[in-house]
Amino acid sequence: MSFETDMERMEEITKRLQEDSIPLEDSIKLFEEGVGIARRVEKELAEIERKVEILVSPVDEEPVLEPFGGDT
Amino acid sequence: MNDLFSDQVFSVSDITILIKQTLEGAFYGVAVEGEVSNFRPASSGHWYFQLNDNDAAIQAVMFKQKSWRLSFIPKDGDRVKITGNISVYAKRGTYQLICESIEKTGTGDILALLEERKRRFAAAGYFDQSRKRPIPPFPTRIGVVTSPTGAALRDILHVSLRRNPTIDIVVLPATVQGEGAAAMIAGQIAYANKWNLADVLIVGRGGGSLEDLLPFSEQVVVEAIVHSAIPVVSAVGHEIDWALSDHAADLRAPTPSAAAELTCPDIEEMVAAMKERVGRMHHMVRNRIALAKSETNVFSTKRMTEYFSRRLEQAHLRSDDLVEHMRLTIQRKVVASRSKFDAFRAQTHALSPLSVLERGYAIVTDTRNGGIVKNAHSLVVGSDIAIRFAKGSARATTQSIDVMETHDREDEK
Repeated sequence: MSFETDMERMEEITKRLQEDSIPLEDSIKLFEEGVGIARRVEKELAEIERKVEILVSPVDEEPVLEPFGGDT
Repeated sequence: MNDLFSDQVFSVSDITILIKQTLEGAFYGVAVEGEVSNFRPASSGHWYFQLNDNDAAIQAVMFKQKSWRLSFIPKDGDRVKITGNISVYAKRGTYQLICESIEKTGTGDILALLEERKRRFAAAGYFDQSRKRPIPPFPTRIGVVTSPTGAALRDILHVSLRRNPTIDIVVLPATVQGEGAAAMIAGQIAYANKWNLADVLIVGRGGGSLEDLLPFSEQVVVEAIVHSAIPVVSAVGHEIDWALSDHAADLRAPTPSAAAELTCPDIEEMVAAMKERVGRMHHMVRNRIALAKSETNVFSTKRMTEYFSRRLEQAHLRSDDLVEHMRLTIQRKVVASRSKFDAFRAQTHALSPLSVLERGYAIVTDTRNGGIVKNAHSLVVGSDIAIRFAKGSARATTQSIDVMETHDREDEK
């Protein structure tokens, strides 16, 4: 579900839509899928807030991450 | 002796004043190189020590107001170059060197050492272009191996937030200068790999003296970078500074800020790319609908044709609105770091050609072959047909066939 994969799928859809022989029904389905991806990605980009964390565990132990206070 | 003074008898004070004026005037802004000994920092914050070479010694002092600016504290045995002034202390009849600045010397030795190491690492293949991996274009988490209190981290957090506030940052704290720094930096690179803590690593620090940057040229750090499965961006010091980590890393960034620029894709560019693809798709679907429209003309009245044109215009306008809306919304987010896309669903819904059906139109398919019925000729009495509405569908049997007059279709056979 990475942005890269989403962009690749959008590219595939655009290519398929370009084909003259594509049935109307299929083109509608693909278009809906494309708009769905765009809508989801937009939502993610707009809503996801980054986490800034700092590693606090010693090197020989499993990682423990704590929120890093130095964030602006 | 000087004839000028042959008849003159000085008081101790007078001769001292004369010596003071002479020495202080003549030895102003001088540079002296030697070895530090008897270094004694006073509780007042001033530093007292002696500068030696094989045959002579001079007392030296660096006052607190100057000493806090140095990036290191001298210790006995250090070879240093001092810039300062000679000052005479009249009460004791002594003179000393008042230090304005102190630099470690022996940089020539360090550079020679670095050159030798560089040749050795290059021969081992550590710097080969062929082993450099691409930096992931859309990372979700960036690891930063640096000092948690340094300016480098502050710059990276600031720039990455501005460019893309959705990417997580993991700080892997390390001392970045002095003893033990190299082992710690190398250890954190290995640790990030062991626990797969990031998609890409930034390893670096802010500017400093040649000595300060040395840990990033140590063998353990260079080898940790070479063995890292996670791509590494090296960001050491300023643009003019080079460390061997720069050569070993997959990408060299001239500064920590630049490293953040290079690893964080700009969110506005991502949205623009997505927007461009939606626009292209919409264009193509519009063409396909236009084709369908010409195909269905055989059933249409002028009113239906007008309706389609209106729908298409609306869809087009809404696409433009949508695209503009996306841009503005993300801009608001970049400024305020938070926004909503409330109108989004309704707008994109209106784009869907399926909404044509919601206006009361239906698609008829022949159940014999599943094809869309575009011409009544293709049916016979008793044909089983399926009708798709905006919501749901129905099955029906053809009762009669009426080939409609099609006065508005000139190319009708």
